[in-house]
Amino acid sequence: MKRIVWLSLALAALAALTLVLSRQNVAPVHAAALPAVTVSVEHARPRQVEDPTQKAVARDYAAAWQAMAEALDQNRTELLGANFIGAARRKLTATVAEQRKARLHQRITDQGHTVAAIFYSADGSAIELDDTAHLRFDLMDGNTVVHSQDGVVRYVALLTAAENSWKVRVLQAVPSS
Amino acid sequence: MSRPDTNPSPVVMRMNFRSNLKFGLVLATCSFSLVAYASDLNVPASMVAGSSLSIPTSGSGTATLYVAGPGTAIKRKVELGREIHLSAEDLQNAGRYVVSLAGDSATFFVTAGPVHSIAFLARPSRVPADTTGVISGTAFVFDKYQNLVLEPQTVKFELSANGQTVTRNETTKDGVAYTKLDSSKEAGVAQFVASSGPASVRRVVEQVAADPCNLRMSAVPDKHGILVRTDPIRDCAGNLVPDGTIVTFTSTDPRGTSTVDARIRQGIAEAELPAANNATISVASGVVVGNEIQWRGDR
Repeated sequence: MKRIVWLSLALAALAALTLVLSRQNVAPVHAAALPAVTVSVEHARPRQVEDPTQKAVARDYAAAWQAMAEALDQNRTELLGANFIGAARRKLTATVAEQRKARLHQRITDQGHTVAAIFYSADGSAIELDDTAHLRFDLMDGNTVVHSQDGVVRYVALLTAAENSWKVRVLQAVPSS
Repeated sequence: MSRPDTNPSPVVMRMNFRSNLKFGLVLATCSFSLVAYASDLNVPASMVAGSSLSIPTSGSGTATLYVAGPGTAIKRKVELGREIHLSAEDLQNAGRYVVSLAGDSATFFVTAGPVHSIAFLARPSRVPADTTGVISGTAFVFDKYQNLVLEPQTVKFELSANGQTVTRNETTKDGVAYTKLDSSKEAGVAQFVASSGPASVRRVVEQVAADPCNLRMSAVPDKHGILVRTDPIRDCAGNLVPDGTIVTFTSTDPRGTSTVDARIRQGIAEAELPAANNATISVASGVVVGNEIQWRGDR
């Protein structure tokens, strides 16, 4: 009999806990996927882009977008990792701080990037990219979508080589030409 | 197969009517919102970084304004019918901005302002003298908010050494200008300057002697073996090859080969080779090979 009472109490406690947890307003964590990035190098000047560099730039630029999407969605600057440096990092850090202050966040659904390398420095330390990005932006106030836009945005990105990878130093959305 | 009933019952019709009415009310509300505010979000397609923006609105009551852009995220209550003001500080980073008010949204771009600073890459920091296209300069132009200036700008590259100045004017494309310059005949420190508008950055490029020209040595006996010493080592333009450059002396005799690496000090390299009665002694530095000496015991 005692066992039945204890079992009933335990089940009741479990049910109550489940109910409380289900009522918590926990925002789902959105894990951004690694976006598809294709990099063409035919127009890069003054130096020709080597095959390994082309692959490394595509890999690191995709990782940067993934990190940025997660950081802006979860408002956590540490998610930017080592993908951004200089002005790009400062501006993204400021964006996250402002979003956190306003209790906003952005959800970027990345549908891929068609990238052309337009400049590659003679010493191989800097590369500039012209990126046609297919994105969906959702500006969120808590769980409410305030603004949603699906489309193509053009970016100019400047990446510099450091610590065996390419870091984004400038990432600027520009009007479509 | 049974044919679908095309004559709905009165109950279904009543439900449809109610839901249609509800849908109509919702649609009317939405349309009202759009009519009331769509024309209110009158923003320019693009504007210059660091400018303020006033957006007129109409209607009455309050609504929540949202602004999102690089470095900016704003949520605040605004009174409809009054102008919304976005400060220069809110709009200092180049990029794409979204303004949303009462269900209506608009997008605009902020572009970089005038050139304020230059990121200048001068490579390499040490170059051989009298070499074509060996010095490269790359300049990225930024405005005062660290936005890359994408409008074409003139960048002046100046390389000054030994009282002579070489100047190149290049126009930026997508925020970057670059040039390649020759090093001067004489070794020495060169000032490499990139400037655009009020911005100017200076780098120092050290021009050192190129590969040796006419590498010559002499050999004399000494108490431990053979002392070999070069003449002053110069490049083809007459500059002394820098101290620390390696010179290799090699002695080959019937017993085998001995090699000694010596560093240039004050223009001269010297080393001591093992004593030999019948040896061939040679000297080299990098890809340059000097004279050869046939050593016969004491000479």
